[in-house]
Amino acid sequence: MRKYIYALIALLSLATVALATDSQIWGEMRIQNILGYGQEESLKLGVWFTFLQSKYFAWVFLGVLIGVPTVFFLHYKIVGQKVFPHSHKKHYAFNLFHRTIHQVAAVSFMVIIPTGFIIVFGDFFGGGTLVRAAKNLHGIFTIPFAIVIIPMALMWIKEAIFNLEDIKWFMILGGYLSKEKQIINATQFNAGQKMWYWVCVLGGLVMILSGAMMFFMDFKIEMLHNLTGLSHIDMLRASAIIHNVMGFILVAVFFTHIYMAAVAIKGAIHSIITGYVEEEEVKFLHNAWYKKLKEKGKF
Amino acid sequence: MENARMKFYCDESRCIECDGCTIACAEAHELPVGIARRKVITIHEGIPGKEVSTSVACMHCTDAPCEQVCPVDCFYIREDGVVLHDKNKCIGCGYCLYACPFGAPQFPREGIFGSKGAMDKCTMCAGGPLTTNSHHEFELYGQNRIAEGKVPVCAAMCSTKALLVGDAESVSNVIRARVTARGGKGVNSSYGWDKAYKNQ
Amino acid sequence: MTNSFGDIQNAKSIFIIGCNPAVNHPVGFGHILKAKERNNAKIIVIDPRFTKSAAKADYFAQIRPGTDIPFVYGMLHIIFKNGWEDKKYIEDRVYGMDEIRAEAAKWTPQVVADVTGVSAETLIEITTIYAKNSPGTLLWAMGLTQHTVGTGNTRIAPILQMALGYMGKAGGGTNILRGHDNVQGATDMGCLSDTLPGYYGLVEGSWKYYARMWGVEYDYIKSHFKDASWMGKPGFTLARWWAGVLAGKPGEDAIENAGTNLKALVVMGCGITSTSQNLKIQQGLDNLELLVIADPFVNEAAILTNRKDNLFILPSATQFESSGTVSATNRSAQWRYKVVEPLYESKADQDIMFELAKRLGFYEEYTRSMMMHLKSDGYLEMTPGKKTFQWPEDATIEISRTLRTIGMMGWTPERIKKHTDNWHMFDEITGAGKGEMKGEYYGLPWPCWSVKHGGTPNLYNVDVPISEGGMGFRNNFGLEKDGVSLLAGQGSAPVNSKVDGGYPEITKENIEKLIGRTLSASEKDLCGANWKTCTSGKLVDLALEAGLTPYGNAKARAVVWTFPDRIPLHREPLYSSRPDLVEKYPTYADKANHFRVTTKYASIQKEKDYTKEFPIIMTTGRLVTMMGAGLENRASKYICALTPEMFCDIHPDLASQHGIKNGQMMWVHSPAGTKIKVKAKYSHTVLPHMVFLPFHFGGYMQGVDMTGNFPAGTKPYASGECANTVVSYGYDIMTQIPASKAGLCRVEKA
Repeated sequence: MRKYIYALIALLSLATVALATDSQIWGEMRIQNILGYGQEESLKLGVWFTFLQSKYFAWVFLGVLIGVPTVFFLHYKIVGQKVFPHSHKKHYAFNLFHRTIHQVAAVSFMVIIPTGFIIVFGDFFGGGTLVRAAKNLHGIFTIPFAIVIIPMALMWIKEAIFNLEDIKWFMILGGYLSKEKQIINATQFNAGQKMWYWVCVLGGLVMILSGAMMFFMDFKIEMLHNLTGLSHIDMLRASAIIHNVMGFILVAVFFTHIYMAAVAIKGAIHSIITGYVEEEEVKFLHNAWYKKLKEKGKF
Repeated sequence: MENARMKFYCDESRCIECDGCTIACAEAHELPVGIARRKVITIHEGIPGKEVSTSVACMHCTDAPCEQVCPVDCFYIREDGVVLHDKNKCIGCGYCLYACPFGAPQFPREGIFGSKGAMDKCTMCAGGPLTTNSHHEFELYGQNRIAEGKVPVCAAMCSTKALLVGDAESVSNVIRARVTARGGKGVNSSYGWDKAYKNQ
Repeated sequence: MTNSFGDIQNAKSIFIIGCNPAVNHPVGFGHILKAKERNNAKIIVIDPRFTKSAAKADYFAQIRPGTDIPFVYGMLHIIFKNGWEDKKYIEDRVYGMDEIRAEAAKWTPQVVADVTGVSAETLIEITTIYAKNSPGTLLWAMGLTQHTVGTGNTRIAPILQMALGYMGKAGGGTNILRGHDNVQGATDMGCLSDTLPGYYGLVEGSWKYYARMWGVEYDYIKSHFKDASWMGKPGFTLARWWAGVLAGKPGEDAIENAGTNLKALVVMGCGITSTSQNLKIQQGLDNLELLVIADPFVNEAAILTNRKDNLFILPSATQFESSGTVSATNRSAQWRYKVVEPLYESKADQDIMFELAKRLGFYEEYTRSMMMHLKSDGYLEMTPGKKTFQWPEDATIEISRTLRTIGMMGWTPERIKKHTDNWHMFDEITGAGKGEMKGEYYGLPWPCWSVKHGGTPNLYNVDVPISEGGMGFRNNFGLEKDGVSLLAGQGSAPVNSKVDGGYPEITKENIEKLIGRTLSASEKDLCGANWKTCTSGKLVDLALEAGLTPYGNAKARAVVWTFPDRIPLHREPLYSSRPDLVEKYPTYADKANHFRVTTKYASIQKEKDYTKEFPIIMTTGRLVTMMGAGLENRASKYICALTPEMFCDIHPDLASQHGIKNGQMMWVHSPAGTKIKVKAKYSHTVLPHMVFLPFHFGGYMQGVDMTGNFPAGTKPYASGECANTVVSYGYDIMTQIPASKAGLCRVEKA
């Protein structure tokens, strides 16, 4: 594995051999970039980025950081945990491969998201070594995530496709607003999990790409310019805006994922650790799946 | 004049892309190769009537966008308007570059990941937050010529005196005299002057 | 330069032909921009490329290389046709303009358009602007000189100035831009093979004068020559020294060098690889018995050669490690103070020379005159009690008392230092001193006739008295030719002149008549035969008192009856891009014993139509970041970051015809069979049928990397092919300067 990581690192570094001063940002294009900055016919990305970053991004992140846990705290206090007996039969739903992939992604997230917050609130932390380390960790831990994101996407894609039942799930928000144990007719993944899947996979890809652009800054990928019609610097600006906005969503949904797994359903987290899901949980929360498993004679 | 607002102006009708400013800057501050705090750019080269050269660096903008977007707040603006930053705080995230209309911030490559080190940019030869004219200041920010009462080296070295630097009023006076001498031609010539100083 | 950079600010029109001051003289170009700004001067650029200077011009004509003479004749045609010439000026101060007029009549705008490639409309527009915006100054450099007709080019330009009466005026004149620091000084000091210092000719009288001023016997000097006849013969030139080495080998030109080849070469501070025919230079270096190179950086010549033995590289000091005078392009002097002692084992140039003289056994004679002083009668004697000389002050004194022809008599070390120390007390435009420096011009531009004279800012200006820098044209070629007087007309002497008209140069014989008084016997005793050798200065003093120019007041010659071309004539380059014009405008016949070597002209031009194989015009030039062979520039990492490698400016259309992409490597082949591999750089500054090569790179030879020859730690940051490898045969008919600007080539994808 190490070998592959090193190979990947080498490949990524190679992409940056172009001399910085020749790049579009600092080379011939510089005047055009000045002229394009904030002009009527341009996308005004420079102005937009400056406006959003200086006025909103940090506040929105703060909102997410405080708001989402607050909502869940209230939920915990008002609705409370759903507790299912864990004494019943179990089903081995997640094999070692599934769990490894998930755990790699999980660990990456555990580093990427806090370090991301440290960067966003870099002034609070006083900049310097700590924030610089956060920035580097933020980049380095993207690599394992980038490695597992494709297998993760493939191994769960079948289960993550939305169906009509999911509309019902959304109507009652999966029954999580009620203290009652309702039977929810969901498949292996309910609509909330599916949503997380898509946000994590698609959003994750967007984050990796936009993040890599910013990290390497003076890469040379002509195809991208042709594809987007954007100048290099504008692609960077777009990346920064997208990275931040996507960041709000990802973080919010990630928090939800954690809350659901660790708090909302007591002990649910063990299923991704051991690989076994509890019959009671499946029966209530993933009834469609439960039926299917029953037919097959599981449990 | 106390607290005069310092500005740069490149007179494109005079700039001949001699690169004197670039070399002077690099030599004076002993910059690593690949870092161009100041760069001369020519557009439409070889096209009669359209070819224009100009010298670009940090313009030390009014309401500097870089200062607004920095997540670690490493920028500080002197009373004379010179925009400086603290390299020890800077994390090399590149946000200032995205906000900058002029492509001024430069990033040295550090480490095997191609990650960017602390941002480097024109200081208007005013050093940085460390002890003035200390060895440490020189290492990180280059010469502090302003503290020594000297003109920034790029403008001092400009062969045709296209590149002007000084308090806003003096610079305006020189430009005005030149424009008047030219019979009013080339009034709005300098790329970015309006953008940087918002017509102030 | 007849005038100065500052004086260009007085011009109303600026005619730039064959030079690119925005690149080669960036600081000087500031004066041109100021003239445009303050004076509304019209800038006209004539160049095969759309240069950085052209980018700042009001008018631009993209000329075919090597057709400057037709272009200027085209201008003269229009000027004479419209009667725009300065008739009185021509009548009083110019000899032979009628022959010019007759030649100009042939060059109608249509003919000029065909030959030069510049449209008749552009020619007429430019001529009109230049003639109507008086005074106009004319600038040139290597773009005019480096042709087989270089001498013709440098004659037609002042002829244009004289036709319009722009010569000898503030804001006018011909301003020839010297390419390097102190080139003017080097020329003045006689770094040429056909003159003694100060342009004293290779004649017995001059040798005897120098023997006297060096404190040695004439016979002593003579004894160093094979026989006295060789004292009058020009030597080899920088352009073709290698012919002296290679003569006798198959295909090489014959030499007349007293029956021997050149065996040793000493190079001091000269990028000898930046001339032409680099392959020949390599062969020349390989075939020498001894090669010595003295340079602050390792000279490319040491790398280019394949020789393994008898090659010595001496580290010499830079300008910062030595002191003395330097002459600017406008003939003015500055004192250069030493900043640091020579570093490591490097030695100043003069110390290397002194050591060499010691080894060769003539150190005492070599330095003797620096131990002597001038008596009031103009003769030298050993200074009593003087044990050692002081460098460079004593050398400067020697120069000032010896180089009288160009009026360096006022250049004492004290005066020059005082000017340099007080440089802020002189006017930027006129160079005139203020306050304490009043009455003197900055750097005492020569002729500076005496220690009291303030220098001559603008040559040939008769609107001011001699004492303020006035002068007429020099009387150097007799008093009359074919019954026509060569002296200036009545009323055209500098103001306050005792003689209001033409007069010959001052001699002991004519001085009394010219100043209108009889000299006392003691005064007469002090007079030498003529002003040039009258070292007491008496003749010059008497002339100045009477407001006379020591060298007389004559007409400028448009006709030179001793040259192959009496008047400048268009002749196609040897490798002409227009073979159809060769018959009408053929080059010269081959010339034997041209600086000791037979030089081919017609035999090359007539050999074949080169354009079939080599259809692309090739020209060379400089980059703003470098100069000469680029030795010291390529040792700067920051400069190399800007211009990291050798390239070829090529029009995208031409490149795409050959499948060459921007940034790809390409071969440039020359008609001489040589080739270089360079990076293609798309550029619209060149036309689609031509390419441009900068000549500052070295270290590669026809695709072969020679940089392994650099001694450890001396390799420059940037190396590349030398453009001069593909610059073909061709030398000026008078000066033998290489014809590097109008070549042919073929390109292909590498």
